[in-house]
Amino acid sequence: MSECCGGARPEPAPSFLRRGGWILLALPAWILLYAVIHRLSEVIAFSLLGLAPRSHLGEAVAFFFYDTPKVLLLLTLIVFIVTFLQTFISPGRVRDALSRRNPGLGNAMASLFGIVTPFCSCSAVPLFIGFLKAGVPLGVTFSFLVAAPMVNEVALGMLFAMFGWKIALLYAGTGVAIAFFAGLVLGRMNMERHLEGWVQEALKAPALADAGEERPSLAARIGQAVQGVKDIVGKVWLYILVGILVGAFIHGFVPEAFMASLLGRKSWYSVPLAVAIGVPLYSNAAGVMPIVEALLGKGAALGSTLAFMMAVIGLSLPETVILRRVMRPRLIGAFVGVVAAGILLVGYLFNAIL
Amino acid sequence: MLIEVFGPGCAKCETLLKNTKAAVERSGGDHAVVKVSDYAVMAARGILSTPALAIDGQLKFQGKVASSNEILDLIKV
Repeated sequence: MSECCGGARPEPAPSFLRRGGWILLALPAWILLYAVIHRLSEVIAFSLLGLAPRSHLGEAVAFFFYDTPKVLLLLTLIVFIVTFLQTFISPGRVRDALSRRNPGLGNAMASLFGIVTPFCSCSAVPLFIGFLKAGVPLGVTFSFLVAAPMVNEVALGMLFAMFGWKIALLYAGTGVAIAFFAGLVLGRMNMERHLEGWVQEALKAPALADAGEERPSLAARIGQAVQGVKDIVGKVWLYILVGILVGAFIHGFVPEAFMASLLGRKSWYSVPLAVAIGVPLYSNAAGVMPIVEALLGKGAALGSTLAFMMAVIGLSLPETVILRRVMRPRLIGAFVGVVAAGILLVGYLFNAIL
Repeated sequence: MLIEVFGPGCAKCETLLKNTKAAVERSGGDHAVVKVSDYAVMAARGILSTPALAIDGQLKFQGKVASSNEILDLIKV
């Protein structure tokens, strides 16, 4: 979630035609590049470097040279689209839509909003308090807080582009379901008294009126999207390279039998193992994709792989540390516990039915 | 003018603070820039996403890192 809040710092308003022309040129170039990278990776690995096809090293190197440009290209396009769409949604509007909603419908709406709302982990605290202050119930706020990192909009786009709509839908659907039920359960537990004292004080104070929301022009929205690409791709490329190196190693060297025994659907411990490996491996949506790709290719079960991915993206230690500022340990524990239970459930469910 | 920059201290907040100081310097005026990192204050001011910026007590924007040009425009008005 740390790579979120794209759309920062819009460019100093260039003319729209210049922006538009730039994008109209960039799109065909993007398509052309995307079409040739597979062939190119084979030429590099097997002709230029002279590695044998089907050898461990050859396959690993080909994977690396194919995946690096592929993930970067996909990420660029997806971040652009997502950041552009996000200029139409703001936390303030989401809060107003959710205030004084009943549990149930409120939880469902919050879980869906969590996917698309621009939201940054360093904003978690003000957002949490702002929601509660506006009368959004605690359980509904939790649905939002769970869905936001769990169903990452960039991860969703990447999954769709790399593995098709079924896996993307599965990821979004289960993430939304976890957020929905986690919020519902936490709302029922009446945890308000486990908020830190200063939060309870802040909630009693009268709310001040907001600043008026700005309506950016189309050029400004495109400018924000370009800036989002610069910010995010500029920040996560290292994670991506590390992810691709791990993926290439798995792809080239890890035997299928070993993977099947570790993360296969037949071993009961594969799901908790996937979560246990995933949580400390704090990365982001883009960095974890090449690993997911290699795991699935080597016969890891889909449920275990989904659980792994959700643990990496959704249950991050940094966010937990930030939320500790507003929640007492009991509430943090309940939050992490409910989310972890949801991820485990998803893992077992899909290993059982697929 | 009193210019307040709100943010807990993440990278984006620091960038906004830097851009704000640059804008103040370019404006040539005598403006005070204050960094507010207290969550309770942010909550009281109705801030939902950080970084945010207020001028003379009025919230101008939140959840974005404005460039120093944009901030300069806000100061001049």
